[in-house]
Amino acid sequence: MATHSISTICPYCGVGCGINLLVDGNTAVGVEPQPCHPISRGQLCAKGWSTAYGIDIGDRISKPLLRDQHGFHETSWDNALNIITEKLTTIIAESGADALGVISSARATNEDNYAAQKLARAVFKTNNVDHCARICHSPTVAGLKMTLGSGAMTNSAEDIFSADVIMVIGADPTENHSIIGGHIMRAQLQGAKLIVIDPRKSRLAKLANIHLQLKAGSNIALINAMLEEIISHQWHDQDFIQHRCEGFDELAAAVSGSLVTAPIATGVDSALICAAAKAYSQANNAMILYGMGVTQYVSGTFNVISLSNLALTCGQIGRPGTGINPLRGQNNVQGACDMGCLPNVYPGYQAVDDSDTHHKFSAAWGTELSNKKGLTSLGMTTAAMEGSFHGLILFGEDPVVTDPDQNHVRAALQKLDLLVVAELTMTETAKLADVVLPAASFAEKDGTFTNCERRVQHLQQALSPTGETRADWRWLAAIAERLGSDQLNWDSTEEIFNEMAALTPIYSGMSYHQLDQKHGLQWPCNEQHPLGTAILHRDKFATSSGKAQLIGVHPIATDETADDQYPLILTTNRLHFHYGCGSMTRKSPLLERETPAGILFINPQDAKQKNIHHLDPVGVRSRRGYLETRAMYTEDVPPGLVSMPYHFREAPSNQLTNAAQDPISKMPELKACAVAVTALEPGCLPRDMDTLRGVQ
Amino acid sequence: MLTLTPLPIELLSYDDDSKDSRHFSFRLLDPDAMMMPEPGQFFMLHIPGIGAAPFTFSTAPDKKGHFRALIKRMGAVTHALFDCQPGTILGARGPFGKAWPIEQLSGQRILMIAGGCGLAPLVSLIETLLKKKNVQHLALLYGAANASTQLFNPERQRWQQQMAVYNVLEDHSSADPKAQSILTGTPVDVLDSVLEQLDQFPTAVLLCGPEIMMQKVAQQFTSLGLPATSIWLSIERRMHCAVGLCGHCYLQHNYACKDGPTYRWDQFQRLSSTLSAPTNAIASCY
Amino acid sequence: MQFYQLETTLILQQHLARRFQIYQRIDDLEGDGHWQLAAADPLTTISEDLPISSPKGLFFGDRENLFSFDGNVFRETIPSPAPFALFGVQSCDLTAIAYQDKFFVDDPYYQARRQQALLIGIDCLNPCEHGFCHRVDAGPGVATDCADMILHRQPSGNWLLLVSSDKGEEALRGLTLPAADSNALTERKNQLDHCVQQFDDSPTIDQGIEILMSHNIDDRFWQQAGIQCLSCSGCTSLCPTCSCYGTHDIADDKGNIVQQRFWDSCLYESFQREASQHNPSAQAGTRLQRFWTHKFSPQTTAQFGRHGCVGCGRCEQTCPGVIGAHSIMKRLVADQENRDLC
Repeated sequence: MATHSISTICPYCGVGCGINLLVDGNTAVGVEPQPCHPISRGQLCAKGWSTAYGIDIGDRISKPLLRDQHGFHETSWDNALNIITEKLTTIIAESGADALGVISSARATNEDNYAAQKLARAVFKTNNVDHCARICHSPTVAGLKMTLGSGAMTNSAEDIFSADVIMVIGADPTENHSIIGGHIMRAQLQGAKLIVIDPRKSRLAKLANIHLQLKAGSNIALINAMLEEIISHQWHDQDFIQHRCEGFDELAAAVSGSLVTAPIATGVDSALICAAAKAYSQANNAMILYGMGVTQYVSGTFNVISLSNLALTCGQIGRPGTGINPLRGQNNVQGACDMGCLPNVYPGYQAVDDSDTHHKFSAAWGTELSNKKGLTSLGMTTAAMEGSFHGLILFGEDPVVTDPDQNHVRAALQKLDLLVVAELTMTETAKLADVVLPAASFAEKDGTFTNCERRVQHLQQALSPTGETRADWRWLAAIAERLGSDQLNWDSTEEIFNEMAALTPIYSGMSYHQLDQKHGLQWPCNEQHPLGTAILHRDKFATSSGKAQLIGVHPIATDETADDQYPLILTTNRLHFHYGCGSMTRKSPLLERETPAGILFINPQDAKQKNIHHLDPVGVRSRRGYLETRAMYTEDVPPGLVSMPYHFREAPSNQLTNAAQDPISKMPELKACAVAVTALEPGCLPRDMDTLRGVQ
Repeated sequence: MLTLTPLPIELLSYDDDSKDSRHFSFRLLDPDAMMMPEPGQFFMLHIPGIGAAPFTFSTAPDKKGHFRALIKRMGAVTHALFDCQPGTILGARGPFGKAWPIEQLSGQRILMIAGGCGLAPLVSLIETLLKKKNVQHLALLYGAANASTQLFNPERQRWQQQMAVYNVLEDHSSADPKAQSILTGTPVDVLDSVLEQLDQFPTAVLLCGPEIMMQKVAQQFTSLGLPATSIWLSIERRMHCAVGLCGHCYLQHNYACKDGPTYRWDQFQRLSSTLSAPTNAIASCY
Repeated sequence: MQFYQLETTLILQQHLARRFQIYQRIDDLEGDGHWQLAAADPLTTISEDLPISSPKGLFFGDRENLFSFDGNVFRETIPSPAPFALFGVQSCDLTAIAYQDKFFVDDPYYQARRQQALLIGIDCLNPCEHGFCHRVDAGPGVATDCADMILHRQPSGNWLLLVSSDKGEEALRGLTLPAADSNALTERKNQLDHCVQQFDDSPTIDQGIEILMSHNIDDRFWQQAGIQCLSCSGCTSLCPTCSCYGTHDIADDKGNIVQQRFWDSCLYESFQREASQHNPSAQAGTRLQRFWTHKFSPQTTAQFGRHGCVGCGRCEQTCPGVIGAHSIMKRLVADQENRDLC
């Protein structure tokens, strides 16, 4: 039984639920929800409920590990740091600072992330810093910056209860962001109309008033058709457009003709498209929530712009119950972006190649910084293959499982001269490292997380770090110190936070003390908004003109389409009870038991054509790779589309996915690629990835 | 007070019956520690480090504590068992559950219908009934996918001497010519023609096999006029405790480990959820 | 039964602390309460509000080692806690303990803890946000057969202490307390009646329970409601009468294998899934139907002498899918009305 209860923030998704860790001595033995938390209100999802298992010390890495030809062996921190800094120095000397990079963790704290980009910029002198937002919401950051001047969720979770129409597009919030998904279900029961746009019959699609079951990748065609319908009926908000937007005429011209081609382009009936258009535009308050089904395409940035066009045209922004709301996936991906773990911006989205910003940070940090934009994570893997990128420090990420085209990722990481991975457990990526550093879990450190609605919340440390694990900022600081730098010379997370806030206008009004008073604060929090900001763009937009940009975009085909050789389209999905690469959730016996027997979700019509029965073993092949799993019959995917969750290292969907990129944000097209599915010998067991790669 | 702690048993030997099924011989280290099971009861087998699962006794423990069970390789527990070598110490708890209603079967014309490894829970019952004299008519209809998956071949051959045994295979090729009356299809398919071959219509029917098969056969019998109170079945459920605590084997408010696994058909119908789909062959993708 | 008067509960807490470890609801900075071991010094006064979790975990452990195996011998590992007192348990949670006492009557792990426990209940004088204990015979006043002692706060600010068991009497030995006033019991009854009056008087819960007890709900209702169940396990974790568990084998630090049991939930899709993949409750609607009819059914009442639900309302608060007790009852009644209209 627990001896005490520590209030903290859930480490899984971007909702940022309040959670109490029940602690017995120095072990987490359970959790409780927090009735007083403004978002979670006493609720948790299955992942949150399993948190104690997720940080169980059973298989934790507790000492630094070095890899040699026999495998990994334990070593001291001293030795590990010496080896790391020696190699870093060599790489810088031989190939320059830009041959190094840091990939930070969207699950680590703001303080850890600030430290990571400062190490890269102020110590290594490179802007090669990135993190997994690249493959989730980089189109949001890029697209909304162009249209609204700022890439974050415009409203807050509680706005769901003020919306008359809720439009969920390319997102499955009951599975990830489950508490927000619950808000949506509750709002609908209270009278809100729910429109779901998704190629699959997600849970919310089954409850929706209108489900537009569009073809994967046809978002722009659909939204343009809705816009044409809205404009032709004069349902757009002319007043709002006139006073607060620019570019309407070009937009109207760009969408002209979309409605008539939409049924073929999207597979959705025009009557439904028109019904959705009417409902959204005519609502008093309509809110858009979106996710990977909008961003993870080669047209990702344009998809986001298209949603922005819809919201702006209808004036559904800048007020309660409205807005454009990207559901940031990880517990701190918003924070990792805010902290500038991106190759083109410093903390607070201040551009590295802007001379004023460059001077400000060079002065603040007391050293001349690089003003050259850095490589993205995918850029780093490409450069590694090309031989111009040699050293990578990576923490709290498992790109071998979660990045597209994992064979390519694996090959690139293996080519590096130095790969340092800091992790809780031995993930697939950690297995490739030269040095593995033992990281402290979220319960073993304090700091702040920023959730999807820009709320910065302060975590309390609940446990002392197990074994020799360290909070990420501490080992990053140790590397800096070994390299002779005092740039990361902090004594506490509060010191880091205060330094960061002084340089980051949107965080400038925050302090730990204030965060603790108020269940966190939503940025921008500064002199003008000392209590934070629940709703963005109320009076003006963050663009230079103060007006929002309407930008006409045209449909862009997915990089791969079905053909004779690969006749089905594969998309990816999340399951409620697993998170990311599963390194934490799969430690729970309950969540692991929930893992289905197979993870290729296929429509019975498609399966029967290939003589595949429910639960039969199947092989799935794409141009990138091959895996085996079992077929799961479901009516939730339409014929022509198969879907796989990406949580399972033994049948990783990223063996198959396409790394073709959105040219603007460099987002890979994870949501659509072409595959072939074949039945295996009946009764045989599907082979896992290790077996298929010949590793045993 | 209950105990949830197993008794130690030794794996003595095993012999394969079909591709994935083996007869395992176990020995209770303390032969007196377990109560004598009745036909239809089961035990929990513990594989330390892996887990536990319920299995039926093919033979009850003798004076030396030896007993046998027919086990099919299916999940984590059975895979681990199949990797065990003779001499390994494992755990057993039991006997559990309600046995077949032997007293009520006295004087009846009994037809047993088994599918696949559903034959196993009927084996000790058949052996027991064959030893009694007041069994008017005993017949077995046994279905399997194909000859290589048929189980208990020596036992069925022996039983053929004393009772009618109808074997039915979905895939007829490679059937053993020595086996009596091989029919083609599933027990459901051939039931009518088997009933015609019996001297008289059965007065008691016992079922064990896939739940769909048992439901279809039971429905066929009730439509032919046999009362639901004359049909019994033995079901399988996921089990952990086997003593009605962990909850996994529930049928509404009832627990299969205590109130079953043998049920009378009318009771089972009342306990079955009306919502269980005839097949679970459709998933949701979340 | 003895009745005493106390000015403050601290006198009682201090007396009991000499022989029992004291567990109390302890409030955190947010004002949320958790069952925790109270510090010996200083003891805080007790709160009358419902804690987030019931004290279920103090008897039916959320993780419990059942036995260990060293390669040859299986050894049962029954806990042997020191005597402890639960100070200030609300009526709903005490009713649930009495229910679990019956369910786990032969469970040696539960009983090893239960026998060591002294239960000091506290009457509720105001309805809590989601509670409906009065509709399921579980409060707001503590029943004398559910606790060893009962505390009741009087209008004067003093406390009435009822000693309702031999164990309770024995625990008070050595403490001299003034007897309670002769009309203290009447006053208690009046206060409790007043509390009942303050609950929402909507008949929905009663009607919903009636519908559940009548087994007259069709598939379609449960299938539709089932879509909203995320299988988060919040309800079963917080429900004070839920008792399902799973088991797994883990290694201890001495190289032994330990079988551990842990709280499980019948709302997980895999709860009944067998190794063969046969799953009698593959559909969420099936699981939901079974959960609610296990709480409210003639069979449950026959077995336990009461409903499986104690009206604590925690499921309503914690369910993201809006299918907790109140929501389900509302839905059942609305569905029945719709069907009656058709």
